[in-house]
Amino acid sequence: MLKLRCGIAAIAFIGMSGSALAADPLAVGRQMLAEDNPGELFIDRGKALFHEKRGPNQVSLEQCDFGLGPGNIEGAATRLPRYFPDTDSVQDLESRLVTCMVRLQGFNREDVIGKAISSPRSHGSDVENVALYITSVSNGKKMNVALRHQKEYDMYKAGEYLFYRRSGQTDFGCVQCHGESGKRIRLQDLVNMTDKKQIQEVVSTWPAYRGAHDTIRTMQWRLSDCLWQMRLPDLDYASDFTIAMTTFLHYQGNGAVIKVPGFKR
Amino acid sequence: MAEPMKIRATLQGDVADVRILMLHPMETGTRKDSKGELVPAHFISSVIVTHNGKTVLDAQWSQAISRNPFLGLRVKGAKAGDRISVTWTDNKGDKRTDEVAVAAGS
Amino acid sequence: MKKTIFKWAMLSVPALVTAGCATYPDEATTRQIAEKMVITSFSTTPETAKRLAQDASQQICSKIGDAKLTEADAAEVIKLARASIKYPQSGKLVGDWKVGDKLAHDGAGDRIRDGELEKRKENGALCQNCHGLAPDEINVGNVGPSLTGYGAQRGNSEAIAKYTYEKIYNAWAYFPCSNMPRLGATGHLTQEQIAHVVAYLIDPQSPVNKK
Repeated sequence: MLKLRCGIAAIAFIGMSGSALAADPLAVGRQMLAEDNPGELFIDRGKALFHEKRGPNQVSLEQCDFGLGPGNIEGAATRLPRYFPDTDSVQDLESRLVTCMVRLQGFNREDVIGKAISSPRSHGSDVENVALYITSVSNGKKMNVALRHQKEYDMYKAGEYLFYRRSGQTDFGCVQCHGESGKRIRLQDLVNMTDKKQIQEVVSTWPAYRGAHDTIRTMQWRLSDCLWQMRLPDLDYASDFTIAMTTFLHYQGNGAVIKVPGFKR
Repeated sequence: MAEPMKIRATLQGDVADVRILMLHPMETGTRKDSKGELVPAHFISSVIVTHNGKTVLDAQWSQAISRNPFLGLRVKGAKAGDRISVTWTDNKGDKRTDEVAVAAGS
Repeated sequence: MKKTIFKWAMLSVPALVTAGCATYPDEATTRQIAEKMVITSFSTTPETAKRLAQDASQQICSKIGDAKLTEADAAEVIKLARASIKYPQSGKLVGDWKVGDKLAHDGAGDRIRDGELEKRKENGALCQNCHGLAPDEINVGNVGPSLTGYGAQRGNSEAIAKYTYEKIYNAWAYFPCSNMPRLGATGHLTQEQIAHVVAYLIDPQSPVNKK
């Protein structure tokens, strides 16, 4: 019997050579996180929530149309945001999920939105877990957002406009931090969202496990967190701004291979 | 309370490369919550891994292990189909066991 | 017969046009749609809503994609920037570098979460987020050029102090539509705070200028 007194964090004995470690320890670390991401444990939770009959109406989300018809979620995440006739609006995955939780399952909208972003160290909100599950079902598939309906065109252009829109005491629009390659804020590398390859990296890795929060986070959260740093007011969950921005970013990232959960610091 | 683990065991020659993801708060007992109150210690104190029923790893953990921990190990002399079982026990007496069959390597 | 065919053709053409013609909205329509989103997508008070409005310079400096700043644009932004500059009451443009040191490394202040303003004594100057500072620090950003050795390179004359002060107060006076926030002009930093940061950058004793 092998007894180990582990006063240190458990070490993974993966096939990494000593030289790999020495050459680029960060890359080795990133590879480890990509291979074994705690976020994966949230997928099962999301799957259970998806299939369960829930809410006052005791209905399961299998009845929700995410763009490919009710119950059809394979590939759905690659086509979002998109126009939905029943709401006469363009919706991203999260806002569509909220619509279904409210209209089909009977949950209270304010309640769902109020809980949508969970506390750090939690097991994630219903929305976070289910959004992760639905996106994970499209793992390996390519982002493929289409612009067909006028409102989809409008959303795309509005998102582009907002990406460059500067305001507030920081004079920041998104492009001030995300317009050039090789940039970082302190030690946090910044994605150049005007670069095709880099934006593809971004759109394919949300929802993600946020290490600092020990839980799952989504694009909706990421956008509101950016605006917090920009000293702008609270961005409303599932608001038009978020959908326009997501439409713009996802369309720019078309071709990206979905790979969730991502791992963020 | 005990959440399911995710275990992967892949054969590489005659060695099973085992990766285990666990969900656990791993509270150290020194963290304060938003009200300023100490959050009580709640962490996995023991992990036992068996291979076809035989213990191959018996670890005593402490608060030093982070939240939602990951454990990786390599088990010699494994064959495809062998059973790898993982059990953790925490300082509150909560327990969780999950099991997986060793998958043939690619 | 001919008239009827003509009438049917007329009726069907508009239907075809509306069905097939979804397209990118033009600039004016895009602006209208997007600006409406800015109004409806945030939870604000009358005070915080101001952060979403754009002043004349911000509007000019929000060029989309590869759109370039015209000479007239640049001149206008510089003019407005110069006019905005306010100097400390005391006339002292160089404060205490030790205070400036703390401010330069402070990335917090004035952020809003769930309707609440960050509770702090004063706003950080945010410098470390984007700029290298003292030579031994590694967790510094590179969105802006490194300021390591700033004073060592330029000296600490009155002219340099004034230039540095103005650059921090309103960077667009020198580089219209720069990515750098107009820290003094937008009110994020006070005149006195800027003077402390100036000292941190140009004082020979400051860590920024040590080897």
